[in-house]
Amino acid sequence: MLTYYRARTLAEALEVLGQKDVEGRVLLGGTDLLVGLRHQQGDPPRVLVDLKGVTDLGDPITVTDDGLRVGPTMTMAELASHQVVRSWYPALVEAAVEVGSVAIRNRATMVGNICNASPASDTAPPLLVHEASVRIASVAGERTVPISSFFVSPRVSACGRGEVVVALELPRPVPGTGSAYLRLTRRWGVDLITVSVAAAVHGDGRVLLGLGAVGPTPLLVELPSGLDLQDRSAIDGALEEALVVATPISDIRAGADYRAAMLKELARRAVQAALESTRRAGDGSPVRN
Amino acid sequence: MADALRSQAVGVRLAGGVVGTGIVRYGGLERAMGAQKYVADLDFPGALQVAVVTIPVGCADILAVDTTAAKAMPGVVMVMTAADLPSPMPRYGVSHIDRQVMADRRVNYYTEPVAVVAAETQEQADAAARAVKVDYRELPGVYTLEDAVAPGAHLVQDATDPTVRAKDPLRESNVLEEQTVAWGDIAEQEARAALIVEDTYTYPMMTQFPIEPLGVVAEPDEVGGLTIYSPVQHPFLVQRIVAKLVGLPLTRVRVVAPDPGGGFGGKQIPKLEPILAFLALKTGRTCRLMLNLAETTLAIRRAGARVHARTGFSAEGDILFQNAQIDYQLGAYADVAPRVMTKGSYIGGGPYRIPACLIEARAVLTNTTVSTAMRGYGAPQITWSTESQITEGALKLGLDPARVRLRNLVENGEEFVKGDYPARADGEWRQVVEKAMSLAHWDEPLPENRGRGIAVAIKSSATSGLSQSLVRLLFDGSALVYAGTSDIGQGARTIWAQTVADELGVPEADVTVISGDTDLVPFDLQTSASRSTVFMGTAVVRACRDVRRQVREMYAERVGADPADLGDEPGVVVTADGPLPLAEAARIALGSLRGEFLGQGTCRLEGRKGHPLGGDASFYEFNCSISEVEVDLGTGQFVITRHVTVCDVGTELNPIQVTAQDEGGSIMGLGQANMEQLIFDGHGKLLNPGAIDYRVPTSKDVPLELLTGSVQNHDGPGPYGSKGMSEGPILCTGAALGAAVRTATGVKITDLPLTPERIWRALRDAATDTV
Amino acid sequence: MDPRFATESQVTVTATINGTPSTFTVPAHRTLLDALRTDLGLTGTKSSCTEGECGACTVMLDGKAVNSCLVLAAEVDGHEVTTIEALSPDGGSDLQRAFLEQGAVQCGFCIPGQVMSAEYLLSHNPDPTVEEIRSAMSGNLCRCASYNRIVEAVRTTAQERVNSRG
Repeated sequence: MLTYYRARTLAEALEVLGQKDVEGRVLLGGTDLLVGLRHQQGDPPRVLVDLKGVTDLGDPITVTDDGLRVGPTMTMAELASHQVVRSWYPALVEAAVEVGSVAIRNRATMVGNICNASPASDTAPPLLVHEASVRIASVAGERTVPISSFFVSPRVSACGRGEVVVALELPRPVPGTGSAYLRLTRRWGVDLITVSVAAAVHGDGRVLLGLGAVGPTPLLVELPSGLDLQDRSAIDGALEEALVVATPISDIRAGADYRAAMLKELARRAVQAALESTRRAGDGSPVRN
Repeated sequence: MADALRSQAVGVRLAGGVVGTGIVRYGGLERAMGAQKYVADLDFPGALQVAVVTIPVGCADILAVDTTAAKAMPGVVMVMTAADLPSPMPRYGVSHIDRQVMADRRVNYYTEPVAVVAAETQEQADAAARAVKVDYRELPGVYTLEDAVAPGAHLVQDATDPTVRAKDPLRESNVLEEQTVAWGDIAEQEARAALIVEDTYTYPMMTQFPIEPLGVVAEPDEVGGLTIYSPVQHPFLVQRIVAKLVGLPLTRVRVVAPDPGGGFGGKQIPKLEPILAFLALKTGRTCRLMLNLAETTLAIRRAGARVHARTGFSAEGDILFQNAQIDYQLGAYADVAPRVMTKGSYIGGGPYRIPACLIEARAVLTNTTVSTAMRGYGAPQITWSTESQITEGALKLGLDPARVRLRNLVENGEEFVKGDYPARADGEWRQVVEKAMSLAHWDEPLPENRGRGIAVAIKSSATSGLSQSLVRLLFDGSALVYAGTSDIGQGARTIWAQTVADELGVPEADVTVISGDTDLVPFDLQTSASRSTVFMGTAVVRACRDVRRQVREMYAERVGADPADLGDEPGVVVTADGPLPLAEAARIALGSLRGEFLGQGTCRLEGRKGHPLGGDASFYEFNCSISEVEVDLGTGQFVITRHVTVCDVGTELNPIQVTAQDEGGSIMGLGQANMEQLIFDGHGKLLNPGAIDYRVPTSKDVPLELLTGSVQNHDGPGPYGSKGMSEGPILCTGAALGAAVRTATGVKITDLPLTPERIWRALRDAATDTV
Repeated sequence: MDPRFATESQVTVTATINGTPSTFTVPAHRTLLDALRTDLGLTGTKSSCTEGECGACTVMLDGKAVNSCLVLAAEVDGHEVTTIEALSPDGGSDLQRAFLEQGAVQCGFCIPGQVMSAEYLLSHNPDPTVEEIRSAMSGNLCRCASYNRIVEAVRTTAQERVNSRG
């Protein structure tokens, strides 16, 4: 039994979501939610709280000298075409343009995608390597959670019942930072990932990898500092150690051994692509209009 | 080609008319505008909406069905179970009358209907369906070929249904039918062979995946009759089966078949119509059931197969023998799948000159969704093996695989199936191969990591059949043609419009095509086997000729001429003063009473008793496909850099439609080769229904270059020398692609689909083998 | 329970559908797709996978192509919806005629969705490359696999439109 509620303010949304005897769900893009509702048997009382009309969430996207603030209504399509995002977080754009189809991307939101907390989320690995943080609001106030703690288990995020993610914040990259996102799929057209890797080579020398579909949540690993990224066997060695945290499974999309092997292969390629990207990197200077 | 059909061939030649040109598709504009009404678009105010109750396993005894709660729910008008139907449970089928209208005491495949709910709204029906309690005991069903043929296997059709297989000598097994195709002395050829290739190939079950899902509306009338709305390819078959099941004469059962949004064989044989018919008659209300795409993928299937093949070659590349055992995986009921087995295995040796052949085929029942016709009809499954074997033989002998095909290919008129019921080539198939090789630049060297593979395939078309057509030439010179062919996207309506336009001299925009209604349209056996151009086309031409004859006779009478002095040519009456447009002659003939001319045409081909296929094929579809791939050795992914497909079509009646079908069939075939597969759990439940996880090609999955071509020697039995088309391009894509991957990577893969994972695994295994 | 949520809500939606203000009342769970087809009688938009994978249900929402099966009717209150019916003048649009001439229309079921996605592409990328067309339309499945014909129809239409703008 479904009720639709169009909230006008954040406080109103939180109040409705906080109802005890009714399951409140946030409705943004709806591209995961509506599929999920259709597949759910049974009919518990449920209210969908549409946030798209909320007037006090701030702008969909704000750029400052310190970084980027993405509001909950920002769609994948809007994000992927944003000049600053393309310059500062190439891996995120590379991921965003792969989420579903054009029609999906016109509705699906960044925030909705991370709250869905799929271990195969495309945007999670880039957000991990760019060290995003998540601002969560509840009736008790706001709190911030680093993205690396945001994914708790499959389909479970740190945003709990009665809470709303109000912003995704990305720190401005240090000059000389580059990133890339690679994904392996079963066909060239629209597809869920078999395995994916985001890599960021930060200007301060850190190399971070975000791993998709090889664990109960997207995973973040860091390669040892001082690694010579031109040295293939050094990278392979570092990857061998770093990737032990991955626990790929066999499912209808792929076998565990294939995933494990592809993880290494993609990671190797992603690091190289991220390195390439540093040579084209936005230098982090503020966008001048 | 069947002599009986050849002697009837209308033998007209293209004469610069509309036939042979790429006029835009009849009805295409309405489709592009969203104006064409598919079955789900039809409005039935006040109709009951239907939901189906199923259990989550593939094989179980039904102990009890409790509908009490469901019946009491708001809006529910009826909850129908087996108890509401006649006892014993009515069954239907084509060659085997084995399929339950709904599950009675036993569920034999996952999603077999256990109950159906009719309610005022869809939500009410769905809610009530969830409230039906089914008490069942799961049985150890057989879901794979291996399980089904193992000793002591659960019998899919067993003693609980004594009437079904009572007289069947194979009833103690899950083998429903067998066929052996044999000639020559295998042992003798084995002794001569310089090389023997032996391997086992698997072809997974797939699904037709039409974008328009299945849907049925059953509308009872006030006097006990029924109208069924269903986008079926065989409306007259549905009519016959439903009438028999509910005990009505044919005239009281009308089938309205809106043009299907894709069929590919999955909309041929009744599936939901019988159950909706009973529901409508019992409730006295119109009942409407519309599935979505995922539910459709659960309801229709292509038979999977497993082939063990042993092929012998001389050192020069002659194919000496082909010895194969093939099991086709049917499903829980026969449907037309036994014929899929017989048709596929009949041509299992390929279109070659082979001294000895032994093909032993079985159609095996399993507790899975009933497999039915699908484009290719048994040929893709065995061709995957036959052609892969030949590629392997050629490569091992150091010979060019294309030239090995040419070396062994039969000539026009030569037997490629020998024995009491031989088959002879009906075209210049060598030209098809040569054209494909030319389009593919076969002899040009390839860069590294690229491979190129070739395959050929043959498919028998209809071996008997009947199509009837009516054509009306109206007073103002416009015309109607009634032709029961289902336009499933192949463009049948366009062909009839073109034909009537030329035969009667009517502008093609003034020709109306009526189909899809058993009340209005005369009998057509079915839309399948690429038969319609030949069978219905011939009937349409004959109907037009009948009109022309009547016009001549009446015109002669009107003007006081001797009909023998008037000549007959398409579109005109030839008088002493020259050709007179037929429409004008018709008006003169009809005079002040006006009226119209009504012509009738029939094309009938009787079968041949004893023939393994029921008769000689009316024609063959012959195809040559060449694929070229570039493989990413690190991931196993590949890009199809080029794909070429050439078919022998006799005559292209509409070149654009032929090209669209050739491209479409190629892309579908490539998808079936590299990404399509159904995946199950251990209880027979499908894990990847629908579009999320059943992969079909998108616009980004097409070959970088896709080239199609036709060989046209005007040597077909259909109008203007045509043969049928649309299945050719899908027949051997697996083997062509497999051969391309083989030459690109060095690894041979024997299981479809050729996914990146499978290729990676084969590469890895090959690497460890050599260590 | 808060009385606001005690029963399934009926939502009254006022939206501009194909240029005309339209008011209708539907249960909360009704998707835009079902509302268009069932409540508003606009059957040009097709229902197939109902889970955002096939594109047959594509419409424009405020000028952007979306899968109407994944939008609640309630969400379009105050918004603009454009369906295939509005893009189909008598005799078809230039794009629809190009679809026909290129042989892209076979069974036709996916075509309204393809046309919507193509029009959306051309609305913000009037001169797309073949690659861009393929990518933009990869969310519209065609089992007849008319893809190459569809791409050609979009490409030639784009060219014509650019040329005619001078």
